[in-house]
Amino acid sequence: MNGAKIVSQALRSTRRYALRTLLMILGIVIGIASLTVLSSIGEATKRETMQRFKNMLGTFDTIMVRPGGGRSRGMPTLVNVPPTLRFEDADAVARELPEIKAVAEMQTAFDTDVKWRDHAASPVVIGVTPNWLQLRSDEVQDGAFFSRDQNIALARVAVIGTDVRAALFPDDDPLDKTLRIAGVPFQVIGLLKSRGAGPGGGSLDNLILIPVNTAARRLFNRDYLTMLIAQVKDPEQSNEATTKVVALLRERHHIRTPALDDFTVTNPAATMAQVTRAGSTLTKILTGVAAMALLIGGIVVMSLMSIGVSERWKEIGVRRSVGATRGEIVAQFMLEAVLVALMGGIAGALIGWGGMQLVTRLQKLPPVLVWQPFAAAILLSATIGLVFGIYPAWKASKLDPVQALRS
Amino acid sequence: MTETMIELENISKTYCRGESARVEALKAVSFRIAPGEFVAVRGASGSGKSTLLNILGCLDQPTSGSYHLGGEDVANYGDKELSRIRNAKIGFIFQSFNLLPRTTALENVEIPMVYRDGKVDRGKALCALERVGLAARAHHFVTELSGGEQQRVAIARSLINNPAIVLADEPTGNLDLEAGRDVMRLLEGLHEEGRTILLVTHDDAIAASACREICLRDGEMVSDRSVGSRSLTLLKGDAM
Repeated sequence: MNGAKIVSQALRSTRRYALRTLLMILGIVIGIASLTVLSSIGEATKRETMQRFKNMLGTFDTIMVRPGGGRSRGMPTLVNVPPTLRFEDADAVARELPEIKAVAEMQTAFDTDVKWRDHAASPVVIGVTPNWLQLRSDEVQDGAFFSRDQNIALARVAVIGTDVRAALFPDDDPLDKTLRIAGVPFQVIGLLKSRGAGPGGGSLDNLILIPVNTAARRLFNRDYLTMLIAQVKDPEQSNEATTKVVALLRERHHIRTPALDDFTVTNPAATMAQVTRAGSTLTKILTGVAAMALLIGGIVVMSLMSIGVSERWKEIGVRRSVGATRGEIVAQFMLEAVLVALMGGIAGALIGWGGMQLVTRLQKLPPVLVWQPFAAAILLSATIGLVFGIYPAWKASKLDPVQALRS
Repeated sequence: MTETMIELENISKTYCRGESARVEALKAVSFRIAPGEFVAVRGASGSGKSTLLNILGCLDQPTSGSYHLGGEDVANYGDKELSRIRNAKIGFIFQSFNLLPRTTALENVEIPMVYRDGKVDRGKALCALERVGLAARAHHFVTELSGGEQQRVAIARSLINNPAIVLADEPTGNLDLEAGRDVMRLLEGLHEEGRTILLVTHDDAIAASACREICLRDGEMVSDRSVGSRSLTLLKGDAM
């Protein structure tokens, strides 16, 4: 078949019947534009949510255990959780479950007064084990993190977040300074790298980390945990590991079958999947509406192409009489439909891109450059042209050339 | 004459219209045409002239009989082979010109080149237009041309792939006398180049351009005879 020449003939036809071409393009543009806007907003929102989860958790290969049977709301702190999750529980999880690589212990307190000279702040103070950095994939920007020995020795050392540094040490190097947490002096030994915003949009940098043993004995005088974080060896097996952790803790807490857990286990990977799923339900409905618009666009292409075929009987007859095969007639009309749909697709994607820019600005979503919906839109429009062009093209090729010429 | 360009044997064509109505457009027509002949096909309307021309031009297939074109048995050819023959060997000229609307003269002449190997040769299309005296109007849309000019564009289109056979179906039927004479002069020129010409016409004057005349009546061939010289034809044409 004479491919390139037929493409050029098809292109000329789209120009020759410019009004019809324009109407078909319009039909496709509306569907593609709304589809790209909606799906790229959906994609951008999903990525944003995932990024915030990642900011908060650092890694997705951890299981979080909090005391209390799921009744407590909000972030667990020392004042609102039952004292059921113990240091010994954390030791047992680390020791007895081969699926678990490491366990971090946490004691969290919000709104603790922290002072240095005449500067004051109320960050989250978290007592953590020295393996925190690995479990959360946090990084120390300046100085060092505390060691295992410092934890055992109940050393009064602190690693601060960038927000705390900004509040307490606006003009000074925080390292080796001694700040007071609820009146107790701690030496600043490190500065954490900034993590950005969490899922709720709040800062994740307004915190001070201290050794968990120091926190338990010297600051809070509590011997229970607000959270333990277990890192699994194989992230693929995190559901199985979660089941084992639950079984072990129930056994240690002497909970029999009908009774509910006195702790809550969260598998972040699963939670995040749920959140992104829920977030995309609305997007899915809207995408469905846009897909309907696109379908109608396809039907517009089909009907206008069909009308075109009936109006162009003579042209078909002429082309057949000078040597066009049925296949070449099919190819020409299919190509016309595909080219028109592609033009509509590209125009729709461009309009969609503009709409997307507008929405991200209005919604204050970060400008995420998502190219997949645009590539998909262009591919989809070509497919629409192909699918809805088949029938008119087939009709054109079935025409008896003698009759077509007589018309 | 030993060589044969066209050989028809017992060609019949039956159209079915509905269940019982069968129209026999052609009944067992047989003849041979040698390369370079100029044949007029005559007959009243409905006598099967156009059906015959369509079969000769491979636009239509006979219901029965055999058709050899330049030695090829085309009666059983499929769409691809027939299309190739139409493209390479046959030039059509129609009563109603059959040019594409909203298209320039040049683009119309180029169309047959779309469906053969090789690229569309614009220079060649311009040459063809020059030959029919329309080089100056190459970029005009066909609707801007007179009937005679349109038919000349159609002749340029029929020539572009250098066909051995030119089939003209009442080419002057929609033209005034002057324009009709131009068209006939072009056809005679094509004949002089050695092409085989088949011309369907009602018109005695036009038919007289031919060297041979085949008459059809009700789908049957009723006569096949040689006719007079061309000079006589032109005189007759002029006298009308």
